[in-house]
Amino acid sequence: MDKQKFEVLKDILFEDARKRNEELDNKVKAIDEIISDRAKLEPRIAPILEDQVHYLEKNFPTLFGAAITASIRKQIKDSQDEVVDALYPIIGKMIKKYISLELARLSERIDRQLDRAFSWEGWIRRIKAWFGGVDERDLIMTELAQPELEEVFVIQQESGLLMGSYSKHQTLDQDMVAGMLTAIKTFVKEAFPGGYQELETIEYENYKIIINNLKSFYVAVVISGNMNTDFKMKLDDIMTDFEQQVMEKYLGDKENFSEDQLTELIKANFGKLNNGE
Amino acid sequence: MGNSKKVILLGNFGVGKTSLVRQYVFRKFSDDYMTTIGVRIDKKMVAVNGQEVSMIIWDVAGESTHQKIPNSYKLGAHGIIYVIDVLRPSTYLSIEKEISSLEDLLPNVPIVKVANKIDLLTEKERIEIVNNLPLNDYVLCSAKNGSNVEDAFNKLAESLI
Ligand SMILES: Nc1nc2c(ncn2[C@@H]2O[C@H](COP(=O)(O)OP(=O)(O)OP(=O)(O)O)[C@@H](O)[C@H]2O)c(=O)[nH]1
Ligand SMILES: [Mg+2]
Repeated sequence: MDKQKFEVLKDILFEDARKRNEELDNKVKAIDEIISDRAKLEPRIAPILEDQVHYLEKNFPTLFGAAITASIRKQIKDSQDEVVDALYPIIGKMIKKYISLELARLSERIDRQLDRAFSWEGWIRRIKAWFGGVDERDLIMTELAQPELEEVFVIQQESGLLMGSYSKHQTLDQDMVAGMLTAIKTFVKEAFPGGYQELETIEYENYKIIINNLKSFYVAVVISGNMNTDFKMKLDDIMTDFEQQVMEKYLGDKENFSEDQLTELIKANFGKLNNGE
Repeated sequence: MGNSKKVILLGNFGVGKTSLVRQYVFRKFSDDYMTTIGVRIDKKMVAVNGQEVSMIIWDVAGESTHQKIPNSYKLGAHGIIYVIDVLRPSTYLSIEKEISSLEDLLPNVPIVKVANKIDLLTEKERIEIVNNLPLNDYVLCSAKNGSNVEDAFNKLAESLI
């Protein structure tokens, strides 16, 4: 058979198939056109998507809430177990810092992922609810933002020697902290000559150091957490009372005013802050 | 506070103030030079004649001819260790003037003078240099091998009580 005859035979035999092919071809072209043309695609898909989004929005908490809740709670709990058990007795404040950091990270992550699906406020409420009743460890979380008195130093001006102190945790060498604070204070004074610049606060991560200068000594108070006005006012009152008492005793009988006496005064006054009186 | 004392190390930059403190407090030495920025505070408890003294040591950045340590860092000091480098005459040429201005600022505060880095001298050089130093009551020290470091600080501690 020559080639031409073969072609004719092929035409006859495959006529049907070719027609179908053509039809399919056209359909594919049409679909292709719709898909590649956003304007045409959108009206077709949008309603379906919108339905789905709506459904998700409405049912997200029921669909995934439990799973996410459980997994986040597990995450927090797991690291708490490890970290809290090992470290809390020794350095409770580090834990707080760790947890506050983790919470901040968590909030960022969730914000990013679930952006508009539902609000962070909702989560806060949810988290608060989890920790509403709960055991001691979880309390650390609720204490997180509470301002708390960590240390009080009464330090001699110039020499920077510690006259008396109070410490919640006793993890620092207070003599050295007193020296360092005094060196920093001196530095600030030198950096801004003119006499009026005195260092009043130093902020460091979760801590705030408040400095009150008197003539022969100064008082430095270390606070962790978020200072609120209530706490600040209480602190101011206590500071004034305390300084007055010290001045009276110290100036009255300098020779017999011992470090122990001063420490007692510090405890009696500043102790009120953490007891919530 | 009664037995806490502020001790301050003074002298030109690079004479070995930080090295002396490190040797005294931690028994460590490094050949690397890391100039001190601002002040470093260290603490060492010593027993002097049966009494515990806690020395709060202020290791201040060194002075140069251009840059003097502000006096406010020195105020309140109970004792001073003034350090020179035996190999650098510039660190002790005007020492008499330095010492007398310290005495004006802090009357009656004991000063121990330390000539540091003696490990770098041969015996012959040592005698020669020491004879030529403008003041003779130095404690000859090496922060590197530790010789006399304890003696220098103890000498000061004794005059603190
Ligand atoms: N061989 C020798 N080298 C020393 C000795 N003491 C200090 N050095 C070296 O001298 C250099 C300066 O020492 P530092 O202790 O940093 O001097 P400094 O007086 O604290 O210097 P500033 O902080 O800049 O004022 C370092 O490289 C030390 O290793 C010593 O006794 N022997
Ligand atoms: Mg130094």
